[in-house]
Amino acid sequence: MILWITLGIIAVVVIIFFNYYNNFVRLAHQIDNSLAQISVQLKKRSDLIPNLLSAVKGYMKHEKGVIKEVTDARKALVGASGVEDKMKAGNQLQSALKSIFAIAEGYPDLKANTNFLQLQQELSAIEDKVAYARQYYNDGIMSYNVMTNMVPGKWFASLYGFKKREYLKILEAEKAVPKIEF
Amino acid sequence: MNRLSFHEEIRKNKISSIFLITIVLIVLLALIYTVGFILGGDYFFFIIILGTIFSLIYIVGGYYKSADLAIASVGAKKATGQEYRQYNNIVEGLCLASGLPKPKLYIMNNPQINAFASGRDPQHAVICVTTGALEKLTKQELEGVLSHELSHIANYDIRFMTLTAVLVGMIAIISQIFLRSLFWNSMMGGGNSRGNNNVIFMVIGIVLAILAPIIVALVQLAISRKREYAADSSAVKFMRTPTGLIGALKKIQSNTPMKVSGAVAPLFLAKPTKEREWFMTHPPLVKRIARLERM
Repeated sequence: MILWITLGIIAVVVIIFFNYYNNFVRLAHQIDNSLAQISVQLKKRSDLIPNLLSAVKGYMKHEKGVIKEVTDARKALVGASGVEDKMKAGNQLQSALKSIFAIAEGYPDLKANTNFLQLQQELSAIEDKVAYARQYYNDGIMSYNVMTNMVPGKWFASLYGFKKREYLKILEAEKAVPKIEF
Repeated sequence: MNRLSFHEEIRKNKISSIFLITIVLIVLLALIYTVGFILGGDYFFFIIILGTIFSLIYIVGGYYKSADLAIASVGAKKATGQEYRQYNNIVEGLCLASGLPKPKLYIMNNPQINAFASGRDPQHAVICVTTGALEKLTKQELEGVLSHELSHIANYDIRFMTLTAVLVGMIAIISQIFLRSLFWNSMMGGGNSRGNNNVIFMVIGIVLAILAPIIVALVQLAISRKREYAADSSAVKFMRTPTGLIGALKKIQSNTPMKVSGAVAPLFLAKPTKEREWFMTHPPLVKRIARLERM
């Protein structure tokens, strides 16, 4: 009888240990995967830029500055390594694209160009996807950190060597309130 | 951001699923047994076994083919990425937000605003929206609607709805067969060899055959209504704002009834047909909007 009770307790303890380990691993994979998703979307965005530029070039002959800005930002994004850098370059590219689309408002021919419209729609969809992927990443980080900070997860985390992870920070420029000029 | 706990909602959903499926199974077995007893006579066991085998095949088949059946019954067609770019893009974005695989997307030709999700698990899920929804909703509202449908997939509501639709359909079929065969039996004037006992069972059988589909449908609908609230909550979790869904529900308030079969009605975003309070598959829109505005 006592033997069975002891065995039962041991089995429960082993299951708890396994369960915590598996939960850490599952969440860590989820976080890594969502990070990869962000990179995938950023890559898609930079792949679309040459098409966009060739679509607008014919119309925007006098807007060299903005086009150069986009080209530079794309170069920075392609060259960036590490997610923080990629996110930074991605945001820069996003704001450069915003000015291109703002300028495009003044070119009715360009706005009627289906190719341009399609690219514009695609790029704004990618912007949404980057935001969603980042949200999912941060959700994952939150569950992970809650688990590594609460008792008894805290003890298991230090036992298995799982460390606290960092949220993806929204960059200062993005948080700033946009200037309104009249 | 949101004061309702999602995990709690999902847990409650799972418990009520098990509760419902147990009730439906008991009713189903009781029905097969009674029908077999009354009609079978000497072939009692034969009918019971045949009925059980038939039911199992029906349930398994329905479970695996449910999404195809639902899509076929409303006459929907595939929404390709080329033609329905925005629809595809929004779903891809929401899948990134929820960590779900991308479901197959369909479109059904109907001017009303509506949508439904089906399938047995997130890997085999489908989402279908009406052409009316794509035309009349803004991007944010459509995002709210699709987010609600994706929540049904994430919460495993689609599996539950599929199973119950199949089981409820099964009970309805058996009841119908039973009542009709009684009618034919009495027309032919046969089968009264077992006296009083037979009469009592006959009465029980008739009552069961009439009541079973109603009881089961009522339980199903009660749970279905709760699931709509849960899906609204998770939709807000994915989108981080209730604005889109509120806007969409407000536009749906002016929907007129749609012609769809009763079996797929509970799958829709908003109830497609006109029903009495107790027979509603969905909570009233006013209540859903009020709840979303509190988040």
